[in-house]
Amino acid sequence: MTLASAGERRASQQARRLSGSRKVGRISYWPFVLPALVVVSAVVVFPWAFTLWMSVSEWKVGEPYHFVGFANYLRLLHDQRFLQSIGRTLLYTVLSVVAPMVIGTLAALLFNEKMPARGLLRGIFVMPMMATPVAIALVWTMMFHPQLGVLNYLLSLIGLDPQDWVFAPDTVIASLVMVETWQWSPLVMLIVLGGLASLPADPYESARIDGANAFQRFWYLTLPMILPFLLVAMTIRMIDALKSFDIIYAITQGGPGTASETTNLYLYSVAFAYAEIGYGSAIAVLFFLLIVVLSLVLLHVRELSGRILGTTK
Amino acid sequence: MAAVTLSHVGKSYGAVGVLHGVSVDIADGEFVILVGQSGCGKSTLLRMIAGLESVTSGDISIGDRVINDLPPKDRDIAMVFQNYALYPHMTVRKNMEFGLKLRGTPRAEINEKVAHASAILGLESLMERLPRELSGGQRQRVAMGRAIVRDPQVFLFDEPLSNLDAKLRVHMRTEIKALHQRLGATVIYVTHDQIEAMTMADKIVVMHDGRIAQQGAPLDIYDRPANLFVAQFIGSPSMNILDGQFAGDGSAVFITDKGVHILLANVPAENAGRPAKIGIRPEHIMLNDSGIAARVIVTEPTGSETQLTLDVDGHELVVLIRDRVDYKPNDVLKIGLAQNHIHAFDADSGSRLTL
Ligand SMILES: Nc1ncnc2c1ncn2[C@@H]1O[C@H](COP(=O)(O)OP(=O)(O)OP(=O)(O)O)[C@@H](O)[C@H]1O
Ligand SMILES: [Mg+2]
Repeated sequence: MTLASAGERRASQQARRLSGSRKVGRISYWPFVLPALVVVSAVVVFPWAFTLWMSVSEWKVGEPYHFVGFANYLRLLHDQRFLQSIGRTLLYTVLSVVAPMVIGTLAALLFNEKMPARGLLRGIFVMPMMATPVAIALVWTMMFHPQLGVLNYLLSLIGLDPQDWVFAPDTVIASLVMVETWQWSPLVMLIVLGGLASLPADPYESARIDGANAFQRFWYLTLPMILPFLLVAMTIRMIDALKSFDIIYAITQGGPGTASETTNLYLYSVAFAYAEIGYGSAIAVLFFLLIVVLSLVLLHVRELSGRILGTTK
Repeated sequence: MAAVTLSHVGKSYGAVGVLHGVSVDIADGEFVILVGQSGCGKSTLLRMIAGLESVTSGDISIGDRVINDLPPKDRDIAMVFQNYALYPHMTVRKNMEFGLKLRGTPRAEINEKVAHASAILGLESLMERLPRELSGGQRQRVAMGRAIVRDPQVFLFDEPLSNLDAKLRVHMRTEIKALHQRLGATVIYVTHDQIEAMTMADKIVVMHDGRIAQQGAPLDIYDRPANLFVAQFIGSPSMNILDGQFAGDGSAVFITDKGVHILLANVPAENAGRPAKIGIRPEHIMLNDSGIAARVIVTEPTGSETQLTLDVDGHELVVLIRDRVDYKPNDVLKIGLAQNHIHAFDADSGSRLTL
């Protein structure tokens, strides 16, 4: 036996002793991790794994189940109704992010100023947020009614032609976005209001001396300083709008025709009306990926702005 | 023309009066320093001149124009705030450029001015940092830089050097003086630093509880304080004050409340027997073998001078002497007062009495 190999043996013995002691450590922390692991597996991992599994299967309720590989996904690529629903969802989402962001931010700026009865006005503005979707759907369906609805009456007052609102394919998305905006601008306002309250006062004094007018102060100071809050509001709004279901379903059920059928509604029809669980699961998986990608993009933007403003490391 | 005139300027927040009838004439290109205890209204006055606070009463004019209601941006002033007030989301460079950009200054000129100011202030290596990545002193220099690049008619400085170390402070003092001479702008400057006030000012304005206690050239104020407050506020260590009264027989003697007799150069006849306070600065008391006996309480050598705290029949006197001395507590020595440097003040009003 050479010297070198003796040395190697000693080293390997040592390594075995070390790994032995590590094994003891591993056993000792399992009891602490296990309960959480079980719960997470049951409520998160299992449903996901099961959805993934079903998405590569063909399984209609009441029929035997069999494995089909990526057939469901390939079918999606040619499913016009699915592709159109994605486009519609994106349109609906963009509008339902932009409109509440603009209105909510303006409202926050307004309600941040000192004014009489500010608390009361803020309270009234926030109320739509607390209404239940079905009640909202009921009220707005009545307001949208072409003959009896208050909206066309209001249009007639300012001399505009009556509209068909949610009853025509051309206007249904815009009309639904109106409802979404009415309900969720208050949330944006609350978040932005929090941001405004956290702004330091003295940079504004410097800016006044540096010669900035009110708009420039808003543009160069307020906006960049509340950007992290805007991005939080935007992320929440985006995820909510992508997933939006209740209001659309209660008001239009995706109609007229499929004019307001977003991916979420199509998914619902496939899975529960046509009982194609496998195909529905494939839609769910793709839809989830879409949400994740969009959220990651926003998160990244937020991180960038946070680094500049010092709100994140 | 950037003479600044304050006439009977008053300020109240609701029922609380902060400034009362402040009148100061500041000539074009003059360097005026405001001093006074914390809370006496210096920052408030500066902010009113800047246009950040409304004027409750009186008038503020720049040139011949009353500017009470003129917005800050139209006053052609630059201000260094006590708390810096930097733009937290902008780099040092952007902070300094902002005012120029808003005024539509050409890019080349902006770059030149910013480069120049950052060189004066030693900020070159920090230009791309954000304010929160700077130390207090560095932030203060950025605030200075932001004012310097603007080239205004009037500079307002609110304790701009308070956070700098001693060496940098001396350097900045020289720079500000040089800047003032080069630009010929009017400067209104708040400080707590006696040396800054004495060395930089053309005129010192001493404020006390929202009123002007005295204004004038630094040495005039030092040599002839108009009242007890100024006498004690200006000068460090501050003036020794003794209570008592002038001799009743008309001789030039002041008798303290502890019975010490102090010879004066002269006492006007009408003041005979009048209760008063006299003051003498620490450097105007000398060791003098034929003088009054004094017991040493504390000896504090500062290097260039020695500061002694002495007990003279129950009066505590601070004395500053040039020589290195090595007295121990309870040593007894003899001191004399420089007669023509003794100040007298009325016992009640505190206003100066002629001797
Ligand atoms: N917004 C305000 N409302 C009420 N009182 C105020 C307000 N701002 C300042 N004051 C009061 O006015 C007085 C003067 O304040 P100011 O800031 O001018 O003092 P200062 O001389 O600058 O003091 P320092 O040397 O500590 O900076 C203080 O007594 C302060 O409490
Ligand atoms: Mg102050």
